[in-house]
This record gives sequence, C-alpha cells and structure tokens, in this order.
Amino acid sequence: MTQFLLETSWWVPIYGLIGSVLTIPWSAGIVRRTGPRPAAYFNLLMTVLAFLHGSVIFRLTWNQEPVEIVFHWFQAAGLDLSFALDISPVTVGAMELITGMSLLAQMFALGYLEKDWAMARFFTLMGFFEAAMSGLAISNSLFLSYAFLEMLTLSTYLLVGFWYAQPLVVTAARDAFLTKRVGDVLLLMGLVALATMAGSLNFPDLYDWAETANLNPVVATLLGLALIAGPTGKCAQFPLHLWLDEAMEGPNPASILRNSVVVACGAYILIKLQPVLNISPVALNALIVIGAVTAVGASLVAMAQIDIKRALSHSTSAYLGVVFIAVGTQWTGFALMLLFAHAIAKALLFMSIGSIIVTTNNQNLLEMGGLGPKMPATTTAFVVGTAGLVGLLPLGGFWALRLGMDDLWTERPFLVVVLLLVNCLSAVNLTRVFRLAFLGKTQPKTRRAPEVPWQMSVPMVSLSIVTLLVPVMMQRLSLLPGWAYVNQTALLLLCFSGLIGVVLGVIIELPRNWSRSTKSPLRFVQDLLAYDFYIDRLYRVSVVFVVSQISRLSNAIDRYVIDGLVNLVGLATIFSGESLKYSISGKSQFYLLTILVGVSFLGFLMIWLFDQATFREIIEKVVLALNG
Amino acid sequence: MLSALIWLPIIGAAIVAFLPGNISAKITRQISFAIIFAAFIWSLVIAIQFKPESSTQQFIESLPWIDSLGLTYSLGVDGLSLPLLVLNGLLTCIAIYSTDEKIIRPRFYYSLVLLLNAGVSGAFLAQDLLLFFLFYEIELVPLYFLIAIWGGARKNYAAIKFLLYTTVSGILLLAAFLGVVWFSGSTSFAYEPLRTHNLPLGTQLLLLGAILVAFGIKIPLVPLHTWLPDAHVEASTPISVLLAGVLLKLGTYGLLRFGLGLFPEAWQNLAPSLAIWAVVSVLYGAFTAIAQTDMKKMVAYSSIAHMGYILLASAAATPLSLLGCLYQMISHGLISALLFLVVGVVYKKAGTRDINLLCGLLNPERGLPIIGSLMIAGVMASAGIPGMIGFISEFLIFRGSFEAFPVETLLCMIGTGLTSVYFLLLVNRVFFGRLSEKVVDLPQVQWSERIPAAILAGIIILFGVVPSWLGRWTEASTTAMINPQPAIAKVIPAVSFSEAKLP
Amino acid sequence: MKTTSLKTRIHPLKPYIDQLKSGNALLVDTPDNVMEVVGILKSYGVVLDAYQKNLIYIAEHQFLELFPFFKYFDGDINLNKLLRHWWHDRINFEYAEYCMKTMMWHGGGGLDQYLDTPEFKERTRKAIEAKIKTNLPIRLVDRLFPEFLLEQVRQQAYYSALGQFWYVMAEIFLTMSDLYDRGKITTIPEVVDHILKGLVAAANKPITYAVTIDKQVYEIIPQSVGLTFLMDTAVPYVEAVFFRGTPFPGTVSYNAQAYQISPDQSRFQYGALYADPLPIGGAGIPPTLLMQDMRHFLPDYLHNYYQTTKRKEDDLRVQICITFQKSMFCVTTAAILGLAPYPMNTTDPTEQKANQKYLEGWMDRFLTSQLMVANSDPNASLYSNKTENS
Repeated sequence: MTQFLLETSWWVPIYGLIGSVLTIPWSAGIVRRTGPRPAAYFNLLMTVLAFLHGSVIFRLTWNQEPVEIVFHWFQAAGLDLSFALDISPVTVGAMELITGMSLLAQMFALGYLEKDWAMARFFTLMGFFEAAMSGLAISNSLFLSYAFLEMLTLSTYLLVGFWYAQPLVVTAARDAFLTKRVGDVLLLMGLVALATMAGSLNFPDLYDWAETANLNPVVATLLGLALIAGPTGKCAQFPLHLWLDEAMEGPNPASILRNSVVVACGAYILIKLQPVLNISPVALNALIVIGAVTAVGASLVAMAQIDIKRALSHSTSAYLGVVFIAVGTQWTGFALMLLFAHAIAKALLFMSIGSIIVTTNNQNLLEMGGLGPKMPATTTAFVVGTAGLVGLLPLGGFWALRLGMDDLWTERPFLVVVLLLVNCLSAVNLTRVFRLAFLGKTQPKTRRAPEVPWQMSVPMVSLSIVTLLVPVMMQRLSLLPGWAYVNQTALLLLCFSGLIGVVLGVIIELPRNWSRSTKSPLRFVQDLLAYDFYIDRLYRVSVVFVVSQISRLSNAIDRYVIDGLVNLVGLATIFSGESLKYSISGKSQFYLLTILVGVSFLGFLMIWLFDQATFREIIEKVVLALNG
Repeated sequence: MLSALIWLPIIGAAIVAFLPGNISAKITRQISFAIIFAAFIWSLVIAIQFKPESSTQQFIESLPWIDSLGLTYSLGVDGLSLPLLVLNGLLTCIAIYSTDEKIIRPRFYYSLVLLLNAGVSGAFLAQDLLLFFLFYEIELVPLYFLIAIWGGARKNYAAIKFLLYTTVSGILLLAAFLGVVWFSGSTSFAYEPLRTHNLPLGTQLLLLGAILVAFGIKIPLVPLHTWLPDAHVEASTPISVLLAGVLLKLGTYGLLRFGLGLFPEAWQNLAPSLAIWAVVSVLYGAFTAIAQTDMKKMVAYSSIAHMGYILLASAAATPLSLLGCLYQMISHGLISALLFLVVGVVYKKAGTRDINLLCGLLNPERGLPIIGSLMIAGVMASAGIPGMIGFISEFLIFRGSFEAFPVETLLCMIGTGLTSVYFLLLVNRVFFGRLSEKVVDLPQVQWSERIPAAILAGIIILFGVVPSWLGRWTEASTTAMINPQPAIAKVIPAVSFSEAKLP
Repeated sequence: MKTTSLKTRIHPLKPYIDQLKSGNALLVDTPDNVMEVVGILKSYGVVLDAYQKNLIYIAEHQFLELFPFFKYFDGDINLNKLLRHWWHDRINFEYAEYCMKTMMWHGGGGLDQYLDTPEFKERTRKAIEAKIKTNLPIRLVDRLFPEFLLEQVRQQAYYSALGQFWYVMAEIFLTMSDLYDRGKITTIPEVVDHILKGLVAAANKPITYAVTIDKQVYEIIPQSVGLTFLMDTAVPYVEAVFFRGTPFPGTVSYNAQAYQISPDQSRFQYGALYADPLPIGGAGIPPTLLMQDMRHFLPDYLHNYYQTTKRKEDDLRVQICITFQKSMFCVTTAAILGLAPYPMNTTDPTEQKANQKYLEGWMDRFLTSQLMVANSDPNASLYSNKTENS
C-alpha cells in the first residue's frame, strides 16, 4: 500500500487536472438551469484528495532517500524526452504547500465569489493552476518544468482575464501573458541550447554535465542569462515585473496563490537550475543585481501605493528579489526557507485584504480606517501575516532572514545591508497599511463592516495558526540553529531593522486625503514611486514602439512593394476585378484557366516533339555558363 | 488499395455532379460527406495496416501508362505521406460538414471539393515525378473555381492571382522534373531509381533552385507569398480550411520529397541560405501579422510564419528536425484549420472580421462563448503552449535544427514569441471587453457549427499529450531521408551494426 | 440673474416630468410593456417571497451562528434538499444577502441611525451575553474586538428589515399578477397605481426585530423606536439598490490608482436603474443571480414572448434583465408619486412649483440611467446598427 502510494505520487498533479476537466460542463455554460457550485465542490474535493495523498507521501518520504520516477514520454530520432519526477521530502513538501494553499484559496473563493455566476470557470482554472504548480514541484526535468511554467503562464492569463469584460483586465491579462512569455521564450532558447549541448534535460544529467562542461565564456554567459530570464518574468523581477501589479485586477483568491506560490514556482526552477548556472559567473552576478535592484526598488514602490492589493504585490516582488540574491550567491537553503515563510505569510495577508475588499467594496487605502475592532479574523490575519513576514518576532520570516544574514555575513556584507533595508522597508509598509486599514476613525466606506462569513474566515484563521506554527515546523525540519551557533550581532541587527521599520511606520504622517506634496522634488519622487518608476511608459516608447513600427513597416512593404510589384509586373493587374468584369458563370475564367494550365502541358509536349538532343545541348550550355 | 483514395472521391465527384437537380443542397452535402467519410475511413484502414518500422514505400501499385513519355501510374505510401493523407481526409470531411447548407450550385461545389481531395491524395501518393506533377496541376483547377465562384467580394482578383502564381510554380516544377530526368539519363519519371549525385553541382543547384521556387510559391515563402492572404480572405471558410490545412502541405511535402530527396548534395550546399530564408519568412510573416486588422489575414500571415519553421527544419536536415517537419505539417494543418473554422463562424454571425469593430464576444448570453474558448485554445496551440501539438512540433524543430543552425534557430524562436503577440491582440480585442455595438444582436450558434472546431481542438490536445502516437508512423521514413542510400546500408549490415554500438 | 435662469431652464428630461404630472408613468404605456412588467413582477414576486422568508429565518434563527451551514434551508433539513442544494438547484439566496449588505453599507434612514444609538447597544449586549454565555473563545474575541458582535447584530437587523420590506413587496407583485390575469389591470398607470396603493397601505407598518434565546425574547428593534416601512426600509432600499448599488468587478476596476470608483458613495451609479443589461450572465455581475432565479418562474406568456427574439432561449437572462429594468421604473414611479410633497394634479401654483422642483431632483438622477433605453424598443436601441446575416 505504501509503495503503491509512493509510486502513484504523480497522481497528485493529476487530481487538480481531473477537477478542472470535471467542471467544464458548468464553465462552458452547457449546464444552464442549475448553478455553478457543483463545479467548485468537485474541485475542492479533488484538491482535498491531492492534499491527503500528498501528506501520506510526505510521511513516507521522510528521512528516506529520494525516489526517482521516469516516464519516457517521447522517444524518437535519438531524442528522449522523459518526465522525470523527484520524490523527496523537499519536493513533496513543496507540493504539499501548493495543494494546501490551493485548498485554502479555493475555500476562500467559495465565499469571495459567492455572487459571481462564472464561479465554475474560476475553479476550472484553479484546478489547472494547481495541477501545473504541483507538477512543477516534483518535476526533475527541465523540459517538464518548462512545460509546467508555460501552463502557468496560460492559466495566469486566463485567471487575470477572469473578469474579461472589464477594460483594465483586458490590458492586464495581455501584459501578464506577454511579459511572462518574453521570459519563457528566452528560457526556451536556453533550454534548446542546453538540450543540444548536454544531451538530456533531466536535472541530474544537467548537473553532471555542468560540472565538466567546458564552454566558451560568451556562450556560457548567454546560456546563463537565457535560463534566468524565465524565472525573472515569473517572479516579477525587474525589468519584467510590471505584470504582477496589473494582475491585481484579477479576483483576489487567485491573487492569494499568485503572490505566494506562483511566484515561488519561478524561483523554485531557479533553485533547481542553480548548479547549471554555476557555469556562468555573469549570470550569477546578474541574479544578484536583478534581485537587489528589485528588492530595494519594489520595497520603495510598495510604500507609495494607495491600492491595498498593490501595496502588497510590490512587496512580493521585493521578497522574491531577496530570493534571487540567495540563488545568485548560491545559498539555496536560504532561498527555499524564505520562499516557504513568504508564501505562507503573504497568502495570509492577501486573504486578509480580500475580506476587506469584499466587505468594503473598496481597495483604496485612503478611504479605509477603523476596521480593527469589527473584524477579528481579518485583523488577526493581517497582524499575524505581518509578523510572519517581517524579521522582528521569531516567526518564519525572521528565521529565514536570519539564515540569509548568516550566510552572507562574511562574504557579502553589502547584501546584508540590502536584506536589512528590505526588512525595514517592508515593516514600514505593512505597518502603514495596517494603520490605514484597521486603525483610526471609520470612513463612509468602512462604517458598516461586518466580519466575513465562515467560507472566508475559516481559511484565514487556519492559515493564521499555520503561520504561527511555522517556527515549530522549521524546528521539526531541523532548520533552526542551536543557540550556540547564532550570530548574535546579526540577530540584533535584524530585530533592530524590523523595529525601526515598525516605529517609522507608526510615526510617519498618513494623510487620508492623498494630497500630492506641494514641493516639486518631493512630489516628483512620490509620483515616481506611485507609478512604479514609469516603467510602463518606458516600455511603450521602447519595445512596444519598435515592434509596432517594424510590423507596420513589414506590412507596408508587403502591400506596396512586394504585392505592388507583383501586380505591376504580373498579369494580375489586367485581370483584377476592377478592370475586367466576369460573369458568375465562370465561362471566361474557364477559358483562361485552360489556357494557363495548358501552357505547361504544351510546353512540355513541344519540347518532347522537337529534337531532344538539341534541347539538351542548349540547356547544357546554359548550365556550363552558369557554372563558370 | 491506395488507388481507392484517389478514385473514390473522383467517382464520388462524378456522382455528385450528375445528381438530379431536384435534390436539395443539404442532401447533396450529406451524400458528399458520406463519400469523403468513406475515403477517410479507408485512409485510417491503410494507416492501421501500415508497417511503421519500415522506411520504404508500402502498398506499392504500379501500372505502365504512357510509355513514350516514361510515365507510369505508380503509387506508394511511406511514413511521410501517410499522416498527410489522413489529414487530408479528415479536413475534407470537416470542410464539407461545415459548408453552408444553402450554398449556391451545390452539385458543382461538392464535386469540386471531392476532386480537390482526390488531387491532393494523388500528389501525396504519386511515386512518379510526372504523375506527381499531374496531380499537382489537377488540384489547381477545383481550387481556382472554389475561390472564383464561392469567394468574397474580390474573388476574381484573388483567384486569378492564385492561378498565376501556381501556374508559374507548375511550369518551374515541370522544367525541373524534365531536367532531372534528362540529365540523369533516366528513361522514366519513376521516383525511386532517380539519383542526382553524379550530376555536376551547378546543374544540381539550378534544378534545385527551380524546385525551391516552385514549392516556395506553394508553401508559401516570403517573398513569393502574396497570393496567400488574398486567397484566404476571399475564399469561403471550408476552402480556407483546406487551403491552409492540406494544400500548403503539398509545398513542404514536395520540398522534402523532391528537394532534399533528389538533391541531397546540392541541398547541403544551399542549406545555410535556406535557413536564412526561413528566418526571413518566419519573422516577416509574424511581424506582418501583427499589423493586420482582418482576422483571416492575420491567420494567413501566421501560416506563412509557421510554414517557415518547416523550411528551417528541412534545411537543417537532421533526423530530429525532419521528424519535426512532419509534426509541424500536421500541427499547422490542424491548428490553422481550427482557427479558420472559428474565424469563419465569427464572420458568419457578426458579418465582419475586423478586429477593430468586434469586441466582447466571450459574453455568455449574446456573444459566442464556446467559439471564443475554442479560439483561445487554437491561438494558444499556435503560440506553442505545452499540452497541445504546436508545442512538441516547434520543440522538435528547434531542438533538431539547433545543432545545424544555432543562430537561425534562435531567431526563428523569436517568431513564437511574436505569435503570442498578434494572437493575444486578436483574442483580447475580439473576445474580451463589452460587446461592441456591431455585435450585440448576433444570431444563435448551432452545435453543428461548434462540433468541427471542437473535434479539431480535441485532436490538437490529444496529440499534444501523447505525441508519440503520431511519430511512430514517420520516424523510420524521415530518418531514412538523410541517408539516401538505404540499399548500401543493407548490403553492408556491419556498418549499421557498428554504428549502433557507438554511444 | 440666477432665479430667472433657473426658471427658464428646461430640464432635458422634461417630457418625463410632464408624463408624471399628467398621471402617467416613467415607462411608456403599451400592451407589450404591461405584459412584460406584470409577467416579470410575477416571477420577481415569487423569488422575493422566497428571499424574504429566508432573510427572516436567518435573522431569527441564525442569530450569531458562526457556522450557519444550513442557513438557506429555512430549518427544513433533509437529504433530498441537501443534495439539491449541493447540485445548486435552488434559489440564489446569496443575492438577497448581497442586497442586504448593499443596503447596510450605504445606510440611510431611521434604521441606520438607530443602529448607532446607545439604546441599540444596550439591548444588543443583553442578547449577545445570553447567546455567548457558555462560549469561552467567543467571549474572549468579544473582549478583544468589542465591535465584532455588535456589527454582526446590525447585519442581522438588516436581514430582518429587508425581509419585512420584501414581504410587503412580494405580496403587492403577486396580487397584481392575479389582477392582470383576471383582466383588471391593463395599463402601465394601473400597474403603478396598484404598487402605489400597496406602498401607501403599508407605509406606517412598524419595522421590528426580536430574537429568542433560551426561550427568552430579546427585542433588538422594539416598536417603540418607531421605525416604519416606507421611510426606514423602502426609501433606503430604493436609494441603495436602485440607485447606488456597488460597482461590479466584472465591469469596473477597483484599482485605487485608476480612480474609476468615486470616493463618495452618494455619487455611485451602479444600481438596478443604471446597470447595463448586456453583461448579465458574465463574470463578476451579481444581478445575474436574480435573473437566473427569475427564469424559473416566468409566466408562460412572458417566456413565449422571449422565444420570439433572435436568440430565443440563449440570452434569456439578458431579456429578463431588460424587462426587469422596465418594471423597476414602474416601481420607482410609484415611489416618486408616493413621496411627492403634493398630489400631482394640484392646481395651487406654489404646490406645483414644489412638485416641479421635486421631480427635477429625481430627473437629474435619471439622466445617466437606463430610462431612455427602457422606453425605446429595447432591441432597437441596444442594437443600433442592426445587422441581418441570416
């Protein structure tokens, strides 16, 4: 039985897919007389199954050697594309995290979307989403991982586009897809090159190859950069980060997943690729630079946001930036731990703001206030989520950041400063949001705010408890250091940065009427941050402009040069509908057709009837002349 | 056995043409569908009996025809042509099924479609150069009429343009074939014994050049392509399905069979230029597609880009890339057929294909939600999203061609990125948003209009999930193409044996 | 000269003002309109009746239940009903709750004011104490978050109030349908008149709310507070649901930096009289639930009428919504007439002036509503570029 459950661990992603397929009659609108909820229940049921199956596997793999399962999916012409799965405590744990989050987010959606008749489509996509992510977690092949990444890109597009009739959703979905696609295509290039050079795309083979590979540095650099492009898009890192902000147009339950586990999937691939990236020091440094720029930049941008979802989504980019730094400095343990802590805490924060949005019909922080005493589950979730994220109280985020500081302490003190800065800014931002939403006087839109119903509060409370238990889990996984090994200076610095952040967050002035500052330099900075450094405009005048100009140029060439030439030279102009009118009977066309088709036959026959030898001679002369 | 695939539709065409005039268009359609469905089933029977492990032609039929010309009626099928034959049957079924019930001059129309099917099957089966040429020309006639009579507003222009281009293609092809036969000193046009390796390279290049231009028109490759967008825009939906789905494949099939197959040496010489040509075709097609506002034109330009991948892969001519060629042919056939079908439904209901006028068609009550979902599936398949056949085809092509032409392959991959740009623009403009004024009162969509597209989407996903079901027919044949002297390998088995031992 | 300019100003919706003054309704009186309005109000009546029963059940029997799993069962739980519930073969009570929450969120009226008084707090406290007497965790939460349970009880009060409001309305609509079936209602003004009479008759009906905990009755809203049907439920309801509503996520962006939603709720125009019927059935459009509920109870004559449209059964919910908006303009007419300062047919010039001003105030709000659409042939106006392809 246990063996059976282990061998069937590949079922876990399949469950989500089955749930997704089962919901199609409702999401396609074939069932019209009854409502869409059975679709949601099917999906929830399948996710519960996936979660249970996963937890059994997790117990079985505990302290065991990793098991590898390989399916030969496609073998032809010397190519062997196999689906390799790696069943180890880490991968199964990641899969558990994903199915667990998916379960909670789906339950949350049951409440959040209770008055949305398109709920079935949402759950179809969630099932697909979950399948792709949990498959990615146990995948041991870059090819398979790439396939799952693309499935994620597609389902992100469709989930962001869930409210397809809303104008901003239309652009948001498009940008999410295209930005990720840019990364994906670059990754595909790297993948094809890697497959050709290494011969296999299974991670163990790639690791072996990378150790001995002797590549031209330019090639190695290009390869490394191509490989990190995919995760850069997926993790919303500079310069491919804009989509995450826009993706906040989508429904909140999807945002819960997107900001916790989906972005983590990109980073997870990066961690898997890390040994391969070692071939290119430039790529590793690029990771550090991208990560540091995004971490600091996004932390600053987050503080200038007045939209509650966006204030948190930019913070996601910032934390993923720190993960990039971790991978770039080859500390994958730190990267994994931070991903884990961040995923849980950020999901909780997004649940909390989801219930605020649904209760107050509002996302504008400046129109909020005074929700604290009325909404216990929501408030608790936000406080616990913040504590779990910021390095101040000994919860997940604290221990993860501490590990990072230890890792980087001696070799890269500069990056330690970045870590502390991100921690401090994140504390400022979250305290700011907390004050605006939960404290202060109530405003018209928050005057009547009853706590959300159980479908939303149960996941919130459960996840709050989980967040509080994260240190215990880390203890069980022996991720926490013994007291003797703790770098106490680092610990103090971390606490101190978090504390400064909170204090700053408490004392800064928060005007409810977002008056733009009258001093022009300050106003400039304010706008610069609020509008994300105007990167979208930069894109518009660069990439978008170039592509559209080239396409217009090629279209013009097509119409006026190539086709124009054809029409000018060819007989087509004579016969074009404007100059000759044909009867519908097609009589004259038939003549024309016979003539033209006949030409070839006639030519052929005439050649045959004439002296063959002479003809051959002529041709040969021509050929000789051509040959030189 | 193979002859039935040609003669069944031809006899069917005759029957349909001489049906009594009082038989309604609907019944004519049913009769034609029954005939073509029988041919399709027959092609499946052949596929089941086909031995995939053999790389040679199977089910060979040979009859002397006109001795003085060296023309024999010889047919055969191998792993390259078999999937294309089945595709031809399937898409003709779908084209007939999705033809408008109340079409004018139904008997003429359906017999032309049947004739077209016969011509294409014949070309795929022909084992004689002249016979191939005959079928290649025969297939023009019905297609010309199908565009010229049942086409759109500028049908005459488009039909004549199509005809002129393809006639040029035909003449060049004929000249090349004649040249091949004469220069190699062969007495017949039979494919198998023809070899060009003893010809001077210049002659080879000249002949190959003629063949390249001939098939380059058919595929089409930039800059020989301008007939295609016009033909697609003016052709009715089922004809567009056939044109994109199977007729363009005659070009790529010919390229492999008569270009690479007959001139391996010259091919190798030209390959680097061909790869560059492929890049131009792919990027040009993709960029031009971005600028289109007519949905059908956009799909047509996307066809040009996607057919360009096949040129890249055939230029690389590795076992993997040639397998990729076949995959891409099938994949493009299915996907472009799906896209044209869906665009056809939108056009039929909304009366326009202009993406600036259409908006919000996903609306569940008044829009075309299921058609919209199928469109999304189609464009995602075309953009190479895993789980659908487009992905594995493109992957095989890129993976197979990278060894030979790394830079060109990477440039072509930009094309896949651009595919998502233009198709996403299309989906976002046409299907997302609020219903635009133009389309708030569309007629109902019947299930009969959705089913063909749904079947294609199903096949696209099926082969995307289990691509090996397609590859097993083909692998032996495409691998053998690189090694043009299988006979030698048979004579010295030790060689292949020792090769097998190598890592 | 402000006064003169005001006097001479001709309101863009003057025809409607004249119509109301001459005893007509906002909706044009045609036989088709009468049939549509009565038919849809019949099915609306059936749905409302189910809604109000459930709201009152929840208010009285699910008082401060943290896990009201069976709140839509009205106390009657059996396997068959449970299976149908899971299959979603049921009335969408979520829509009733959505209306209740919208009404509570927008506030207004005596009920809203009362819920902030010390008297309410005092009365509610007693009920809360009785309810959570033995529930220690909740007592702790109550200590930490003192407003939590109070806010829940406020919501319960709205459950009850909306239930009582809809109880009256459902009866008005159903009796009207009976009258129509007997041929006693044949014009739109008669429809309006019937609704108006119903409203007037119930105008002073007291709104009260009490719960029973351990056989002890706790009066949350006693009659002595003096809340009445018309001013404390009907008027806030019309304001909250007909006019303001909440932005639909399916059509409006909540993004704070896009500034699509006004910070001032009184400027909201997302209510039933403004909503675009076309997106009904799509994602993020809550009224779809109501239209879905009504489709099950359409009288045959109305259902057959919809079968004559181009898309027949396919766009039923959009058709229902278009008709429903027409009917809501009749209900609004009744409300306008009922609240008018003086009778419409008054001859006193000052009274006429006051009426004029009163009506202009309403008309200002109708400028951007669907009024003009409802009054043209819906198909003609929605499909301004009619294309025939068949």
